[in-house]
Amino acid sequence: MVTLRLRVGRGVFIVPPLVVVLLVLIGPVILLSLYSLNLRTNIPFAPTGLSYDNWQDFLRGPGNPFRNRFVYSMEFTLVVSIATTVAAYPLAYYLAFHARRFRYTLLLLLIVPFFTSYLLRVVAWSDVMLNENGVVNQVLWAIGVQPRGVGVGWLLYSNFSIFLVLFYSWIPFVALPIFAVLENMDRSLIEAARDLGAGPLGAFARVTFPLSLPGVISAFVFVLIPTTGEFITPLYVGGPYNQLFGNEIQAFFGNSPNWNYGAVLAISLIAVVLVLTLLFGRFLNTDLREGVATA
Amino acid sequence: MSALWRRLPTLSLAAYYWLFVLFLFVPLFAIVVFAFNASPIPTLPIHALSMQWFTRAFDDAELTGALLRSAAIGAATGLAATALGIMASIGLSARRLRLRAVVVAVILLPLVVPYISLAVGMLIVLQELSLELSLWAVFIGHVVIALPFAVLVVFPRLRSLDPAMVEAARDLGAGEIAAFNLVTLPLLVPSLISSFLICFITSFDEFAIASFLAPPGQPTYPVFLYAGSRTPGLLPELIAIGSLIIVFSIVVVVVAEGGRRYIERRLVGEVEA
Repeated sequence: MVTLRLRVGRGVFIVPPLVVVLLVLIGPVILLSLYSLNLRTNIPFAPTGLSYDNWQDFLRGPGNPFRNRFVYSMEFTLVVSIATTVAAYPLAYYLAFHARRFRYTLLLLLIVPFFTSYLLRVVAWSDVMLNENGVVNQVLWAIGVQPRGVGVGWLLYSNFSIFLVLFYSWIPFVALPIFAVLENMDRSLIEAARDLGAGPLGAFARVTFPLSLPGVISAFVFVLIPTTGEFITPLYVGGPYNQLFGNEIQAFFGNSPNWNYGAVLAISLIAVVLVLTLLFGRFLNTDLREGVATA
Repeated sequence: MSALWRRLPTLSLAAYYWLFVLFLFVPLFAIVVFAFNASPIPTLPIHALSMQWFTRAFDDAELTGALLRSAAIGAATGLAATALGIMASIGLSARRLRLRAVVVAVILLPLVVPYISLAVGMLIVLQELSLELSLWAVFIGHVVIALPFAVLVVFPRLRSLDPAMVEAARDLGAGEIAAFNLVTLPLLVPSLISSFLICFITSFDEFAIASFLAPPGQPTYPVFLYAGSRTPGLLPELIAIGSLIIVFSIVVVVVAEGGRRYIERRLVGEVEA
Protein backbone atom coordinates (compact mmCIF):
# COMPACT_ATOMS: atom_id res chain seq x y z
CA MET A 1 0.00 0.00 0.00
CA VAL A 2 2.82 2.36 0.87
CA THR A 3 4.65 1.67 -2.39
CA LEU A 4 1.47 2.34 -4.34
CA ARG A 5 1.21 5.75 -2.69
CA LEU A 6 4.85 6.50 -3.53
CA ARG A 7 4.35 5.68 -7.19
CA VAL A 8 1.38 8.01 -7.42
CA GLY A 9 3.39 10.66 -5.58
CA ARG A 10 6.27 10.50 -8.00
CA GLY A 11 4.10 10.81 -11.09
CA VAL A 12 2.64 14.03 -9.69
CA PHE A 13 5.93 15.84 -10.35
CA ILE A 14 5.18 15.76 -14.07
CA VAL A 15 2.26 18.16 -13.56
CA PRO A 16 4.03 21.56 -13.25
CA PRO A 17 6.27 21.18 -16.34
CA LEU A 18 3.36 19.72 -18.27
CA VAL A 19 1.10 22.65 -17.39
CA VAL A 20 3.77 25.21 -18.33
CA VAL A 21 4.35 23.62 -21.74
CA LEU A 22 0.63 23.21 -22.43
CA LEU A 23 -0.20 26.81 -21.48
CA VAL A 24 2.64 28.35 -23.48
CA LEU A 25 2.13 26.16 -26.56
CA ILE A 26 -1.62 25.78 -26.65
CA GLY A 27 -2.51 29.44 -25.97
CA PRO A 28 -0.70 30.60 -29.11
CA VAL A 29 -2.06 27.73 -31.23
CA ILE A 30 -5.66 28.46 -30.22
CA LEU A 31 -5.32 32.18 -30.90
CA LEU A 32 -3.51 31.58 -34.21
CA SER A 33 -6.41 29.32 -35.22
CA LEU A 34 -8.97 32.00 -34.31
CA TYR A 35 -7.05 34.58 -36.32
CA SER A 36 -6.66 32.26 -39.29
CA LEU A 37 -10.48 31.83 -39.35
CA ASN A 38 -11.00 35.60 -39.08
CA LEU A 39 -12.73 35.24 -35.70
CA ARG A 40 -10.31 37.82 -34.35
CA THR A 41 -8.25 40.37 -36.24
CA ASN A 42 -5.49 42.90 -35.69
CA ILE A 43 -6.68 45.15 -38.50
CA PRO A 44 -8.52 48.17 -37.07
CA PHE A 45 -12.22 48.41 -37.90
CA ALA A 46 -12.10 45.22 -40.03
CA PRO A 47 -15.16 43.03 -39.49
CA THR A 48 -14.66 39.67 -37.81
CA GLY A 49 -16.65 36.51 -38.37
CA LEU A 50 -16.01 32.94 -39.34
CA SER A 51 -14.40 32.89 -42.76
CA TYR A 52 -12.32 30.31 -44.58
CA ASP A 53 -11.18 32.81 -47.23
CA ASN A 54 -7.54 32.94 -46.13
CA TRP A 55 -7.31 29.16 -45.95
CA GLN A 56 -9.02 28.82 -49.35
CA ASP A 57 -6.63 31.34 -50.83
CA PHE A 58 -3.52 29.66 -49.39
CA LEU A 59 -4.51 26.06 -50.13
CA ARG A 60 -6.51 26.43 -53.34
CA GLY A 61 -5.85 29.87 -54.85
CA PRO A 62 -4.35 29.42 -58.33
CA GLY A 63 -0.63 30.20 -58.30
CA ASN A 64 -0.76 31.42 -54.69
CA PRO A 65 2.71 32.90 -54.08
CA PHE A 66 2.83 31.74 -50.45
CA ARG A 67 1.96 28.16 -51.33
CA ASN A 68 4.62 28.26 -54.05
CA ARG A 69 7.09 29.59 -51.50
CA PHE A 70 6.12 26.77 -49.17
CA VAL A 71 6.72 24.09 -51.81
CA TYR A 72 10.01 25.74 -52.72
CA SER A 73 11.07 25.82 -49.06
CA MET A 74 10.27 22.15 -48.60
CA GLU A 75 12.33 21.25 -51.68
CA PHE A 76 15.20 23.37 -50.41
CA THR A 77 14.94 21.76 -46.97
CA LEU A 78 14.99 18.30 -48.55
CA VAL A 79 18.15 19.10 -50.52
CA VAL A 80 19.89 20.48 -47.40
CA SER A 81 18.85 17.47 -45.32
CA ILE A 82 20.05 14.92 -47.88
CA ALA A 83 23.33 16.70 -48.57
CA THR A 84 24.10 17.12 -44.87
CA THR A 85 23.35 13.49 -44.06
CA VAL A 86 25.41 12.17 -46.98
CA ALA A 87 28.37 14.39 -46.08
CA ALA A 88 28.17 13.51 -42.39
CA TYR A 89 28.21 9.75 -42.93
CA PRO A 90 31.94 9.40 -43.75
CA LEU A 91 32.74 11.61 -40.74
CA ALA A 92 30.81 9.32 -38.41
CA TYR A 93 32.27 6.27 -40.13
CA TYR A 94 35.81 7.54 -39.71
CA LEU A 95 35.26 8.25 -36.02
CA ALA A 96 33.54 4.93 -35.27
CA PHE A 97 35.80 2.58 -37.24
CA HIS A 98 39.14 4.27 -37.88
CA ALA A 99 39.82 6.87 -35.21
CA ARG A 100 40.34 4.25 -32.47
CA ARG A 101 41.46 5.58 -29.08
CA PHE A 102 40.89 9.28 -29.76
CA ARG A 103 37.45 8.95 -31.29
CA TYR A 104 35.56 10.70 -28.48
CA THR A 105 38.04 13.57 -28.49
CA LEU A 106 37.78 13.88 -32.27
CA LEU A 107 33.99 13.73 -31.98
CA LEU A 108 34.10 16.59 -29.47
CA LEU A 109 36.28 18.58 -31.90
CA LEU A 110 33.60 18.11 -34.55
CA ILE A 111 30.74 19.09 -32.24
CA VAL A 112 32.30 22.07 -30.45
CA PRO A 113 31.36 24.56 -33.21
CA PHE A 114 27.73 23.57 -32.71
CA PHE A 115 27.86 24.99 -29.19
CA THR A 116 29.19 28.37 -30.23
CA SER A 117 26.41 30.81 -31.04
CA TYR A 118 24.42 29.88 -34.14
CA LEU A 119 23.83 33.55 -34.92
CA LEU A 120 27.53 34.34 -34.69
CA ARG A 121 28.33 31.56 -37.14
CA VAL A 122 25.79 32.99 -39.56
CA VAL A 123 27.28 36.47 -39.10
CA ALA A 124 30.76 35.01 -39.65
CA TRP A 125 29.66 33.77 -43.07
CA SER A 126 27.67 36.86 -44.03
CA ASP A 127 30.06 39.57 -42.84
CA VAL A 128 33.52 38.00 -42.81
CA MET A 129 33.69 35.00 -45.12
CA LEU A 130 31.36 35.43 -48.13
CA ASN A 131 31.05 39.22 -48.43
CA GLU A 132 32.60 41.30 -51.24
CA ASN A 133 35.94 41.77 -49.42
CA GLY A 134 35.51 38.58 -47.44
CA VAL A 135 37.97 35.80 -46.79
CA VAL A 136 36.67 33.54 -49.58
CA ASN A 137 36.97 36.20 -52.29
CA GLN A 138 40.39 37.23 -50.95
CA VAL A 139 41.62 33.66 -51.19
CA LEU A 140 40.22 33.29 -54.72
CA TRP A 141 42.02 36.52 -55.71
CA ALA A 142 45.26 35.40 -54.10
CA ILE A 143 45.35 32.10 -55.99
CA GLY A 144 44.33 33.81 -59.21
CA VAL A 145 41.03 32.02 -59.76
CA GLN A 146 39.13 35.29 -59.83
CA PRO A 147 40.36 38.69 -61.15
CA ARG A 148 41.40 40.85 -58.17
CA GLY A 149 38.70 43.20 -56.93
CA VAL A 150 35.83 41.32 -58.55
CA GLY A 151 33.77 39.31 -56.06
CA VAL A 152 32.07 36.10 -57.13
CA GLY A 153 28.46 37.13 -57.76
CA TRP A 154 26.64 34.12 -56.31
CA LEU A 155 28.71 33.85 -53.16
CA LEU A 156 26.33 35.84 -50.95
CA TYR A 157 22.57 36.64 -50.98
CA SER A 158 22.03 33.53 -53.07
CA ASN A 159 20.68 30.00 -52.78
CA PHE A 160 24.31 28.92 -52.56
CA SER A 161 24.95 30.97 -49.42
CA ILE A 162 21.73 29.79 -47.73
CA PHE A 163 22.62 26.19 -48.54
CA LEU A 164 26.22 26.58 -47.39
CA VAL A 165 25.36 28.16 -44.05
CA LEU A 166 22.64 25.61 -43.24
CA PHE A 167 24.96 22.78 -44.26
CA TYR A 168 27.72 24.28 -42.12
CA SER A 169 25.43 24.71 -39.12
CA TRP A 170 23.99 21.21 -39.18
CA ILE A 171 26.87 18.94 -40.08
CA PRO A 172 28.41 18.47 -36.60
CA PHE A 173 25.04 17.70 -35.13
CA VAL A 174 24.06 15.30 -37.91
CA ALA A 175 27.22 13.22 -37.53
CA LEU A 176 26.17 12.39 -33.94
CA PRO A 177 23.26 9.94 -34.43
CA ILE A 178 25.11 8.16 -37.26
CA PHE A 179 28.19 7.85 -35.05
CA ALA A 180 26.07 6.50 -32.19
CA VAL A 181 24.64 3.72 -34.38
CA LEU A 182 27.99 2.77 -35.92
CA GLU A 183 29.72 2.85 -32.54
CA ASN A 184 27.20 0.46 -30.99
CA MET A 185 27.07 -1.87 -33.96
CA ASP A 186 27.97 -5.52 -33.37
CA ARG A 187 31.37 -5.73 -35.07
CA SER A 188 31.26 -9.51 -35.26
CA LEU A 189 28.56 -9.24 -37.94
CA ILE A 190 30.97 -7.36 -40.20
CA GLU A 191 33.72 -9.89 -39.47
CA ALA A 192 31.31 -12.70 -40.28
CA ALA A 193 30.53 -11.10 -43.65
CA ARG A 194 34.26 -10.81 -44.37
CA ASP A 195 34.89 -14.41 -43.30
CA LEU A 196 32.14 -15.53 -45.65
CA GLY A 197 33.96 -13.92 -48.54
CA ALA A 198 32.58 -10.38 -48.79
CA GLY A 199 35.09 -7.72 -49.80
CA PRO A 200 35.35 -4.56 -47.69
CA LEU A 201 32.92 -2.71 -49.97
CA GLY A 202 30.55 -5.66 -50.11
CA ALA A 203 30.54 -5.98 -46.33
CA PHE A 204 29.84 -2.26 -46.05
CA ALA A 205 27.04 -2.28 -48.60
CA ARG A 206 25.34 -5.41 -47.31
CA VAL A 207 25.96 -5.30 -43.54
CA THR A 208 27.32 -2.03 -42.12
CA PHE A 209 25.22 0.39 -44.14
CA PRO A 210 21.84 -1.36 -43.73
CA LEU A 211 22.47 -1.70 -39.99
CA SER A 212 23.29 2.00 -39.74
CA LEU A 213 20.07 3.11 -41.46
CA PRO A 214 18.20 4.02 -38.24
CA GLY A 215 21.00 6.49 -37.41
CA VAL A 216 20.98 7.84 -40.96
CA ILE A 217 17.24 8.40 -40.88
CA SER A 218 17.32 10.13 -37.51
CA ALA A 219 20.18 12.34 -38.74
CA PHE A 220 18.09 13.22 -41.78
CA VAL A 221 15.07 14.05 -39.61
CA PHE A 222 17.24 16.08 -37.23
CA VAL A 223 17.85 18.49 -40.12
CA LEU A 224 14.53 18.16 -41.90
CA ILE A 225 12.27 19.24 -39.04
CA PRO A 226 14.03 22.40 -37.85
CA THR A 227 15.01 23.52 -41.35
CA THR A 228 11.34 23.46 -42.40
CA GLY A 229 10.76 26.57 -40.25
CA GLU A 230 14.17 28.15 -40.82
CA PHE A 231 14.20 31.91 -41.32
CA ILE A 232 17.35 33.31 -39.68
CA THR A 233 19.85 32.10 -42.28
CA PRO A 234 17.87 33.45 -45.28
CA LEU A 235 17.43 36.71 -43.36
CA TYR A 236 21.21 37.16 -43.12
CA VAL A 237 22.62 35.53 -46.24
CA GLY A 238 19.62 35.26 -48.57
CA GLY A 239 18.55 37.82 -51.14
CA PRO A 240 15.07 39.27 -51.68
CA TYR A 241 14.09 36.40 -54.02
CA ASN A 242 15.25 33.36 -52.08
CA GLN A 243 13.71 33.84 -48.68
CA LEU A 244 12.11 30.74 -47.17
CA PHE A 245 8.61 30.09 -45.83
CA GLY A 246 9.56 31.15 -42.29
CA ASN A 247 10.45 34.60 -43.62
CA GLU A 248 6.95 34.96 -45.12
CA ILE A 249 5.45 34.34 -41.68
CA GLN A 250 7.84 36.83 -40.14
CA ALA A 251 6.82 39.47 -42.70
CA PHE A 252 3.10 39.09 -41.94
CA PHE A 253 3.78 39.85 -38.28
CA GLY A 254 6.46 42.46 -38.92
CA ASN A 255 6.52 45.35 -41.35
CA SER A 256 3.27 44.66 -43.21
CA PRO A 257 1.05 43.23 -40.52
CA ASN A 258 -1.79 40.97 -41.54
CA TRP A 259 -2.05 38.59 -38.64
CA ASN A 260 -5.03 36.78 -40.12
CA TYR A 261 -3.16 35.62 -43.20
CA GLY A 262 0.07 35.16 -41.27
CA ALA A 263 -1.77 32.89 -38.84
CA VAL A 264 -2.76 30.61 -41.74
CA LEU A 265 0.91 30.24 -42.67
CA ALA A 266 2.05 29.80 -39.04
CA ILE A 267 -0.55 27.07 -38.39
CA SER A 268 0.33 25.35 -41.68
CA LEU A 269 3.99 25.28 -40.70
CA ILE A 270 3.16 23.75 -37.30
CA ALA A 271 0.90 21.18 -39.01
CA VAL A 272 3.61 20.15 -41.48
CA VAL A 273 6.20 19.77 -38.74
CA LEU A 274 3.80 17.70 -36.62
CA VAL A 275 3.07 15.41 -39.58
CA LEU A 276 6.81 14.98 -40.19
CA THR A 277 7.28 14.23 -36.49
CA LEU A 278 4.50 11.63 -36.53
CA LEU A 279 5.97 10.02 -39.65
CA PHE A 280 9.55 9.94 -38.43
CA GLY A 281 9.18 10.25 -34.67
CA ARG A 282 10.00 6.61 -33.99
CA PHE A 283 13.47 7.14 -35.45
CA LEU A 284 14.16 9.87 -32.89
CA ASN A 285 15.01 7.50 -30.09
CA THR A 286 14.74 9.58 -26.98
CA ASP A 287 14.74 6.93 -24.27
CA LEU A 288 11.85 8.63 -22.53
CA ARG A 289 9.24 6.05 -23.33
CA GLU A 290 9.77 3.84 -20.30
CA GLY A 291 10.06 4.62 -16.63
CA VAL A 292 12.80 3.30 -14.39
CA ALA A 293 12.36 -0.43 -14.77
CA THR A 294 13.92 -1.22 -11.42
CA ALA A 295 12.38 1.56 -9.33
CA MET B 1 53.29 0.26 -51.98
CA SER B 2 50.77 -2.38 -50.98
CA ALA B 3 50.96 -1.22 -47.36
CA LEU B 4 50.06 2.27 -48.51
CA TRP B 5 47.28 0.84 -50.66
CA ARG B 6 45.85 -0.98 -47.68
CA ARG B 7 45.93 2.18 -45.58
CA LEU B 8 44.31 4.28 -48.30
CA PRO B 9 40.73 4.06 -46.91
CA THR B 10 41.85 5.20 -43.46
CA LEU B 11 44.02 7.95 -44.88
CA SER B 12 41.33 9.33 -47.18
CA LEU B 13 38.70 9.21 -44.42
CA ALA B 14 41.13 10.98 -42.09
CA ALA B 15 41.78 13.62 -44.75
CA TYR B 16 38.02 14.06 -45.22
CA TYR B 17 37.55 14.44 -41.45
CA TRP B 18 40.32 17.03 -41.06
CA LEU B 19 39.08 19.02 -44.08
CA PHE B 20 35.70 19.24 -42.38
CA VAL B 21 37.27 20.32 -39.11
CA LEU B 22 39.06 23.05 -41.08
CA PHE B 23 35.78 24.05 -42.77
CA LEU B 24 34.05 24.18 -39.37
CA PHE B 25 36.71 26.22 -37.61
CA VAL B 26 37.82 28.69 -40.31
CA PRO B 27 34.81 31.04 -39.89
CA LEU B 28 35.19 30.95 -36.09
CA PHE B 29 38.92 31.53 -36.39
CA ALA B 30 38.29 34.40 -38.83
CA ILE B 31 36.01 36.13 -36.29
CA VAL B 32 38.69 35.84 -33.60
CA VAL B 33 41.42 37.16 -35.92
CA PHE B 34 39.38 40.10 -37.22
CA ALA B 35 38.52 41.09 -33.65
CA PHE B 36 42.15 42.29 -33.41
CA ASN B 37 42.17 43.98 -36.80
CA ALA B 38 42.93 47.71 -36.53
CA SER B 39 40.94 48.51 -39.67
CA PRO B 40 37.18 49.00 -39.25
CA ILE B 41 36.54 46.79 -42.31
CA PRO B 42 36.98 43.07 -41.69
CA THR B 43 39.09 42.17 -44.71
CA LEU B 44 42.46 40.66 -45.57
CA PRO B 45 45.32 41.46 -45.54
CA ILE B 46 45.51 42.65 -41.96
CA HIS B 47 47.96 45.57 -41.74
CA ALA B 48 47.89 46.38 -38.05
CA LEU B 49 46.59 44.81 -34.86
CA SER B 50 44.68 46.63 -32.18
CA MET B 51 42.56 46.11 -29.10
CA GLN B 52 40.45 49.18 -29.80
CA TRP B 53 37.26 47.28 -30.76
CA PHE B 54 37.20 45.49 -27.42
CA THR B 55 37.54 48.80 -25.53
CA ARG B 56 34.89 50.43 -27.70
CA ALA B 57 32.55 47.46 -27.38
CA PHE B 58 32.72 47.55 -23.59
CA ASP B 59 32.14 51.32 -23.63
CA ASP B 60 29.06 50.86 -25.80
CA ALA B 61 26.20 50.92 -23.29
CA GLU B 62 23.66 49.59 -25.79
CA LEU B 63 25.83 46.59 -26.64
CA THR B 64 26.75 45.74 -23.06
CA GLY B 65 23.11 46.30 -22.04
CA ALA B 66 21.97 43.77 -24.64
CA LEU B 67 24.63 41.30 -23.49
CA LEU B 68 23.60 41.64 -19.85
CA ARG B 69 19.92 41.25 -20.73
CA SER B 70 20.66 38.04 -22.64
CA ALA B 71 22.95 36.72 -19.91
CA ALA B 72 20.28 37.37 -17.26
CA ILE B 73 17.48 35.77 -19.30
CA GLY B 74 19.82 32.89 -20.19
CA ALA B 75 20.74 32.23 -16.54
CA ALA B 76 17.11 32.49 -15.43
CA THR B 77 16.09 30.14 -18.25
CA GLY B 78 18.87 27.71 -17.29
CA LEU B 79 17.67 27.60 -13.67
CA ALA B 80 13.94 27.46 -14.37
CA ALA B 81 14.15 24.93 -17.22
CA THR B 82 16.52 22.69 -15.24
CA ALA B 83 14.23 22.82 -12.19
CA LEU B 84 11.22 21.92 -14.34
CA GLY B 85 13.40 19.30 -16.07
CA ILE B 86 14.16 17.62 -12.73
CA MET B 87 10.44 17.54 -11.91
CA ALA B 88 9.57 16.15 -15.31
CA SER B 89 12.31 13.52 -15.01
CA ILE B 90 11.07 12.39 -11.59
CA GLY B 91 7.54 12.25 -12.95
CA LEU B 92 8.62 10.25 -16.01
CA SER B 93 10.60 7.84 -13.84
CA ALA B 94 7.40 6.70 -12.11
CA ARG B 95 6.82 3.09 -13.03
CA ARG B 96 3.21 3.75 -13.84
CA LEU B 97 2.23 6.99 -15.44
CA ARG B 98 -1.12 7.56 -17.07
CA LEU B 99 -0.92 8.42 -20.77
CA ARG B 100 2.89 8.21 -20.69
CA ALA B 101 3.19 8.44 -24.48
CA VAL B 102 1.07 11.60 -24.55
CA VAL B 103 2.96 13.15 -21.63
CA VAL B 104 6.33 12.48 -23.30
CA ALA B 105 5.05 13.88 -26.58
CA VAL B 106 3.85 17.10 -24.92
CA ILE B 107 7.10 17.60 -22.97
CA LEU B 108 9.15 17.13 -26.16
CA LEU B 109 6.77 19.10 -28.38
CA PRO B 110 8.75 22.38 -28.10
CA LEU B 111 11.65 20.59 -29.87
CA VAL B 112 9.69 20.45 -33.11
CA VAL B 113 7.31 23.42 -32.97
CA PRO B 114 8.91 26.06 -35.21
CA TYR B 115 10.14 28.97 -33.10
CA ILE B 116 8.77 31.44 -35.63
CA SER B 117 5.21 30.07 -35.23
CA LEU B 118 5.55 30.03 -31.44
CA ALA B 119 6.91 33.60 -31.51
CA VAL B 120 4.05 35.06 -33.54
CA GLY B 121 1.55 33.02 -31.51
CA MET B 122 2.91 34.42 -28.26
CA LEU B 123 2.78 37.91 -29.77
CA ILE B 124 -0.95 37.43 -30.37
CA VAL B 125 -1.43 36.09 -26.83
CA LEU B 126 0.17 39.22 -25.35
CA GLN B 127 -1.98 41.42 -27.56
CA GLU B 128 -5.20 39.58 -26.63
CA LEU B 129 -4.37 39.77 -22.92
CA SER B 130 -3.55 43.49 -23.37
CA LEU B 131 -0.05 42.85 -22.06
CA GLU B 132 2.94 44.92 -23.09
CA LEU B 133 5.92 43.32 -24.82
CA SER B 134 8.33 42.34 -22.08
CA LEU B 135 11.50 40.45 -21.29
CA TRP B 136 9.34 38.27 -19.02
CA ALA B 137 7.50 37.03 -22.09
CA VAL B 138 10.87 36.26 -23.73
CA PHE B 139 11.91 34.38 -20.58
CA ILE B 140 8.73 32.28 -20.52
CA GLY B 141 9.12 31.38 -24.19
CA HIS B 142 12.75 30.43 -23.62
CA VAL B 143 11.92 28.21 -20.62
CA VAL B 144 9.48 26.23 -22.75
CA ILE B 145 11.85 25.73 -25.69
CA ALA B 146 14.72 24.82 -23.33
CA LEU B 147 12.72 22.36 -21.19
CA PRO B 148 13.00 19.38 -23.60
CA PHE B 149 16.80 19.73 -23.59
CA ALA B 150 16.82 19.71 -19.78
CA VAL B 151 14.68 16.56 -19.70
CA LEU B 152 16.80 14.85 -22.38
CA VAL B 153 19.92 15.52 -20.30
CA VAL B 154 18.61 14.87 -16.77
CA PHE B 155 16.24 11.94 -17.32
CA PRO B 156 18.75 9.41 -18.76
CA ARG B 157 21.10 10.21 -15.87
CA LEU B 158 18.31 9.77 -13.30
CA ARG B 159 17.34 6.46 -14.86
CA SER B 160 20.91 5.16 -14.89
CA LEU B 161 21.30 5.64 -11.12
CA ASP B 162 21.48 2.47 -9.11
CA PRO B 163 18.19 2.24 -7.14
CA ALA B 164 20.08 0.29 -4.46
CA MET B 165 21.73 3.56 -3.36
CA VAL B 166 18.38 5.22 -2.67
CA GLU B 167 17.10 2.04 -1.02
CA ALA B 168 20.19 1.98 1.22
CA ALA B 169 19.48 5.56 2.31
CA ARG B 170 15.86 4.66 2.99
CA ASP B 171 16.90 1.58 4.99
CA LEU B 172 19.20 3.76 7.04
CA GLY B 173 16.25 5.88 8.03
CA ALA B 174 16.15 8.71 5.49
CA GLY B 175 12.70 9.87 4.44
CA GLU B 176 11.89 9.95 0.76
CA ILE B 177 12.67 13.68 0.48
CA ALA B 178 15.88 13.35 2.52
CA ALA B 179 16.97 10.39 0.39
CA PHE B 180 16.40 12.46 -2.74
CA ASN B 181 18.31 15.47 -1.38
CA LEU B 182 21.19 13.45 0.09
CA VAL B 183 21.63 10.74 -2.54
CA THR B 184 19.83 11.33 -5.82
CA LEU B 185 20.42 15.06 -6.22
CA PRO B 186 24.21 14.99 -5.67
CA LEU B 187 24.51 12.15 -8.17
CA LEU B 188 22.55 14.22 -10.69
CA VAL B 189 24.86 17.24 -10.38
CA PRO B 190 26.93 16.61 -13.54
CA SER B 191 23.76 16.33 -15.63
CA LEU B 192 22.28 19.40 -13.94
CA ILE B 193 25.33 21.44 -14.93
CA SER B 194 25.08 20.19 -18.54
CA SER B 195 21.38 20.97 -18.52
CA PHE B 196 21.95 24.50 -17.21
CA LEU B 197 24.61 25.18 -19.86
CA ILE B 198 22.54 23.83 -22.75
CA CYS B 199 19.46 25.78 -21.64
CA PHE B 200 21.58 28.91 -21.15
CA ILE B 201 23.01 28.62 -24.68
CA THR B 202 19.55 27.93 -26.15
CA SER B 203 18.21 31.13 -24.60
CA PHE B 204 21.30 33.27 -25.13
CA ASP B 205 21.25 32.48 -28.85
CA GLU B 206 17.51 32.62 -29.48
CA PHE B 207 16.38 35.15 -32.05
CA ALA B 208 12.80 34.45 -33.22
CA ILE B 209 10.95 34.76 -29.92
CA ALA B 210 13.15 37.59 -28.65
CA SER B 211 12.78 39.59 -31.87
CA PHE B 212 8.98 39.58 -31.53
CA LEU B 213 8.56 39.84 -27.76
CA ALA B 214 11.47 41.98 -26.51
CA PRO B 215 10.25 45.58 -26.05
CA PRO B 216 11.73 48.25 -28.31
CA GLY B 217 14.82 49.75 -26.67
CA GLN B 218 15.46 46.55 -24.71
CA PRO B 219 16.91 44.18 -27.31
CA THR B 220 18.52 40.91 -26.29
CA TYR B 221 21.98 40.26 -27.69
CA PRO B 222 20.80 38.31 -30.80
CA VAL B 223 18.27 41.04 -31.63
CA PHE B 224 20.95 43.70 -31.18
CA LEU B 225 23.37 41.61 -33.25
CA TYR B 226 20.89 41.46 -36.11
CA ALA B 227 20.29 45.21 -36.14
CA GLY B 228 23.97 45.95 -35.53
CA SER B 229 25.35 43.73 -38.28
CA ARG B 230 23.43 45.94 -40.72
CA THR B 231 25.29 48.98 -39.38
CA PRO B 232 28.86 48.96 -40.79
CA GLY B 233 30.16 51.19 -37.99
CA LEU B 234 29.07 48.69 -35.34
CA LEU B 235 30.39 45.56 -37.05
CA PRO B 236 33.96 45.62 -35.60
CA GLU B 237 32.58 45.87 -32.05
CA LEU B 238 30.20 42.98 -32.71
CA ILE B 239 33.08 40.92 -34.07
CA ALA B 240 35.17 41.70 -30.98
CA ILE B 241 32.37 40.59 -28.64
CA GLY B 242 31.66 37.64 -30.93
CA SER B 243 35.25 36.46 -30.65
CA LEU B 244 34.97 36.52 -26.85
CA ILE B 245 31.73 34.53 -26.96
CA ILE B 246 33.25 31.97 -29.34
CA VAL B 247 36.39 31.45 -27.26
CA PHE B 248 34.39 31.40 -24.02
CA SER B 249 31.84 28.85 -25.26
CA ILE B 250 34.54 26.56 -26.67
CA VAL B 251 36.38 26.65 -23.34
CA VAL B 252 33.16 25.98 -21.39
CA VAL B 253 32.14 23.05 -23.60
CA VAL B 254 35.59 21.45 -23.46
CA VAL B 255 35.90 21.93 -19.68
CA ALA B 256 32.32 20.75 -19.07
CA GLU B 257 32.78 17.65 -21.22
CA GLY B 258 36.16 16.87 -19.66
CA GLY B 259 34.71 17.41 -16.19
CA ARG B 260 31.67 15.27 -16.93
CA ARG B 261 33.85 12.38 -18.13
CA TYR B 262 36.07 12.75 -15.05
CA ILE B 263 33.21 12.92 -12.53
CA GLU B 264 31.21 10.10 -14.10
CA ARG B 265 34.31 7.89 -14.21
CA ARG B 266 34.92 8.62 -10.52
CA LEU B 267 31.30 8.02 -9.54
CA VAL B 268 31.22 4.74 -11.45
CA GLY B 269 34.51 3.81 -9.79
CA GLU B 270 33.10 4.52 -6.33
CA VAL B 271 29.97 2.51 -6.95
CA GLU B 272 31.92 -0.45 -8.29
CA ALA B 273 34.53 -0.29 -5.52
